[in-house]
Amino acid sequence: MTTAASSPLLEQRRAGDLTTVRRRTMKRTTGAVAITSAAALLLSACGGDSGEETADAGSSAEETAAEDDAAAEDEAAEDEEAAGDDAASTEAPVRDENAELVIWSDDVRAPILTEWAEQFGEEYGITTQVQVATDVRQQFKDAANVDQGPDIVVGAHDWLGEFVQNGIVEPVQMSSDTQELFTEESIEATQFDGQIYGVPYATESLGLIRNTALAPDAPATMEELASFGNELVDAGDADQAFVTPVSNVGDAYHAYPYLSAYGGGIFGKNEDGGWDPDNVIVGSEETIQGGEKIAWMAEEGLLNVNVDFPTMESLFAEGRTPYMVAGPWAIPNVEGAEIDYAIDPIPDFEDGGQTVPFLGVQMFYVASGAQNPTLAQEFVNTYVPTEEMQLALFEAGQRPPALKSALETVAAEDDDIQAWADAGEGATPMPNIPAMNAVWQPLGQATSDIVGGADPAERLEAAQEEIVSNIGR
Amino acid sequence: MSETRSSDVDAALHNLEPSGEHLEFSSRTPIWVQVVKWGLILLTLAVLGWMAQQVIEAGYWIMVSLIGFIALCVIAVYATRRAIPAKYLFPGVLLMLLLQIWPLLYTVQISFTNFGDGHISTKEEAVASIVANSVREVEGSSRYALNIAVPEGTDVATGDLAYLLTDAEGTYYVGTLEGLEELPAEGVEASPTGRIISAPGWTTLTPQQVNERSDDLADFGVPVFDESGEQTAGIRQVGLSEAFIGTPTRVYDEEADTITDTVTGTVYVAEDANFVPEGGEGAALPQGWREFVGFENYTNAFTNATLREGLTKVFVWNVFFAAFTVVATFLLGMAIALLMNDERLKGKGLYRSILILPYALPIYVTALVWASMFNQDFGLINNLFGLDINWLGNAWWARVAVLITNLWLGFPYWFIVCTGALQAIPSDVKEAAAIDGAGAFATVRRVIMPLLLVAVGPLMIASFAFNFNNFGLIWLLTEGGPFVGGQSSIGSTDLLITLAYRLALGGASPNFGFASAISVVIFFLVATISYFGFTRTAALEDVN
Repeated sequence: MTTAASSPLLEQRRAGDLTTVRRRTMKRTTGAVAITSAAALLLSACGGDSGEETADAGSSAEETAAEDDAAAEDEAAEDEEAAGDDAASTEAPVRDENAELVIWSDDVRAPILTEWAEQFGEEYGITTQVQVATDVRQQFKDAANVDQGPDIVVGAHDWLGEFVQNGIVEPVQMSSDTQELFTEESIEATQFDGQIYGVPYATESLGLIRNTALAPDAPATMEELASFGNELVDAGDADQAFVTPVSNVGDAYHAYPYLSAYGGGIFGKNEDGGWDPDNVIVGSEETIQGGEKIAWMAEEGLLNVNVDFPTMESLFAEGRTPYMVAGPWAIPNVEGAEIDYAIDPIPDFEDGGQTVPFLGVQMFYVASGAQNPTLAQEFVNTYVPTEEMQLALFEAGQRPPALKSALETVAAEDDDIQAWADAGEGATPMPNIPAMNAVWQPLGQATSDIVGGADPAERLEAAQEEIVSNIGR
Repeated sequence: MSETRSSDVDAALHNLEPSGEHLEFSSRTPIWVQVVKWGLILLTLAVLGWMAQQVIEAGYWIMVSLIGFIALCVIAVYATRRAIPAKYLFPGVLLMLLLQIWPLLYTVQISFTNFGDGHISTKEEAVASIVANSVREVEGSSRYALNIAVPEGTDVATGDLAYLLTDAEGTYYVGTLEGLEELPAEGVEASPTGRIISAPGWTTLTPQQVNERSDDLADFGVPVFDESGEQTAGIRQVGLSEAFIGTPTRVYDEEADTITDTVTGTVYVAEDANFVPEGGEGAALPQGWREFVGFENYTNAFTNATLREGLTKVFVWNVFFAAFTVVATFLLGMAIALLMNDERLKGKGLYRSILILPYALPIYVTALVWASMFNQDFGLINNLFGLDINWLGNAWWARVAVLITNLWLGFPYWFIVCTGALQAIPSDVKEAAAIDGAGAFATVRRVIMPLLLVAVGPLMIASFAFNFNNFGLIWLLTEGGPFVGGQSSIGSTDLLITLAYRLALGGASPNFGFASAISVVIFFLVATISYFGFTRTAALEDVN
């Protein structure tokens, strides 16, 4: 594996960034990976001594054996270097012809997967290999196209529609008993066209991260949050009442909880419970009602087009704001800045609007062009649904496991994970249909414009038109 | 006297005549040169042979014949004594064909297809994928524990495959292509989960052996029949130790070229490289295929409402952006190069290294740093100068921000180029100008600039072409934004290439065919501008 394997918090944050950035603007180029990694590097460089802190946090989370400070510091240096190397090399991995089971994953999960793949290999008497892909989604699509792809791919559930459309993944015939072992939402997320296409292992969603020094109590409603946050700003204790990424081009992923608060959203559902690309509801009354709440939040100074992901991270890390709505990928930076924090679900609105974030599910896909489909199916069906493996993967990603029993074990020990699981309860699995690609930009821009003062109804209706025409293109 | 003279003449004549030595030199090459020459030819042929083998494996027959043709050319040009100019021209022409013409032709070719997400494979592959992915477990059926075996006495690599199955009640079966048959429990050894480990008359396969027979197993399934003897479903493996009863819910009818969904009864017909429901109601099946679409992408590009509205605006900004960048970065770079060229200046190396930094840092880092510095509320620039400019949110300020950033990024290039070119200008022309009474400014304006422009003119055109398509800067700094007027299609700082990227790849599925068509159009635009540019620089060279 790469040298980046040892303590992956930097990479983890980068992976987090990556997911977010991708969700927002669906950057497809491999360049985008370099961009985000470079951004992560920059952040760590600008954050002064946060690099060391990150590594410390990393060792405590990652390593079973305790290490002394000197070693941790050495590692910090190595990590930065390794991250730099990665930033430079965005080349796709090349399938090792000699290995009988090849798995592609990001660099955060790869070290853990290597152990489990090796164990699998020993048990079945075969050779295995885990390879790191910097942009798993695109690189898998490209490689599978010319039959050079891996047997198993580890990635997010919202890639599914694209993969099915290109015919590069095959269904996983999971027995109903096995399905029962997973949380309902995570199984729902692995389905496309009524068929299960993967085995989930972790979930992630947005939550409210609170600086407990500034805001000791969790706000019961968004209105309470706004008034308390603004009191802090007026008193000079904070610069921003609340932060979440908006930016000049918008961020539909982070705006979704408010847009959907009154039953609105992006797509309606078809008869078999899947998302219907022909039924866009961005311009619906319900969504517009959510859009009006976004306008209200902007008036209250909660949303600001000049806050983007890095700005949000630094404002919170510097203690200049009490509240931040972000995902688990933002936590390493908060810990690095030694901010005491708590995680809660995003507060609802006083008039009954319920904020529902997107649920992202991480899963194992089996490639349809797999050279060794039997072994690939065996691995995902017998190894991935085990508590041991889900717990091991939890160590790498710190996301709530998708397997119920593993989630219970982890949540009992780790308050954060319980909090993330609570924040993600009832979350809507992010639509995994290809049409979602046509949504991010128009919807993001619409929310940014609403924050900038545009009329929600007008703006969302225009976005609806754009999305429909993009899908039809 | 005359004798000596005649002997002198003889000697001179003798010198003029080709000596035996010379003849030998010109007619027979030394042996080591021959060895090296043939070594190189054979090496080239070996490399080409290896490439051909790779390509044959991938099944690209056009490429194979192309490689064969190149190999023949290598032999014809280098193994014979003919075609001496070709010996020099051949490598250059070959590289040009491979690196310039081939990608261009490939792009043009793609622009006539619907190649893109969802339209990547052939129709056969799409149908196979649709049918294979539609296999569902028969409702209410239970699973079998599975082992894979061949009849005893046959070779594990070739023997007829069979499933050794154990149902939920613990009954043993053998499943072959003919169907399911009960297996006498006598002598059967099973694991605690019920999976058969060994059975008399059968040789079980190790995982590795199963792996080697992946291709056979892909086509293997045990048919399940109903009472009337009709096949209703099939038993298929899930991995190595489990099997389920499943049936494809979508069936392809080759004659009618339709796919029928057996659950909903919907019939899908092939239309526009997708299977769409007959009658038009409902969604198409996800898997489509690649096909030739003629000029459709080009007509789309020219009739696209977004492109038509935005094209003029974007084109004007695009030309201005590229031209301004070239002129501004050149002037700044040259000015600094002139200053740094002064002999009285000490520590030039240090200054020069510092000045080259913006060029040496990757744009992925610097563009993002600039983006954060331009932030209205939290950015360095507004904070430092006490301004409240909405740099990235206002169309005009965003353009200014882009130009400033690109000036900073681009001037070191011209600084390097001009520093080199200035050193090539002989000092005597400057002295001559000074003697003629020209001041410092006049010397630069009338002597140095014209000489410099001859050297850097072609580079300016290259720089223009590069900046015309400077995707990275725009995408990293503004993503083409800000988007004004309640839309997200045409940004204020969009270049043609970023607009094209968003149009072609920002829909539900990236459409490489459409993207290629727009690239081809942009290629012709840049080529036309460059052509006129080069005609102009040819005029510059008249200075000499």
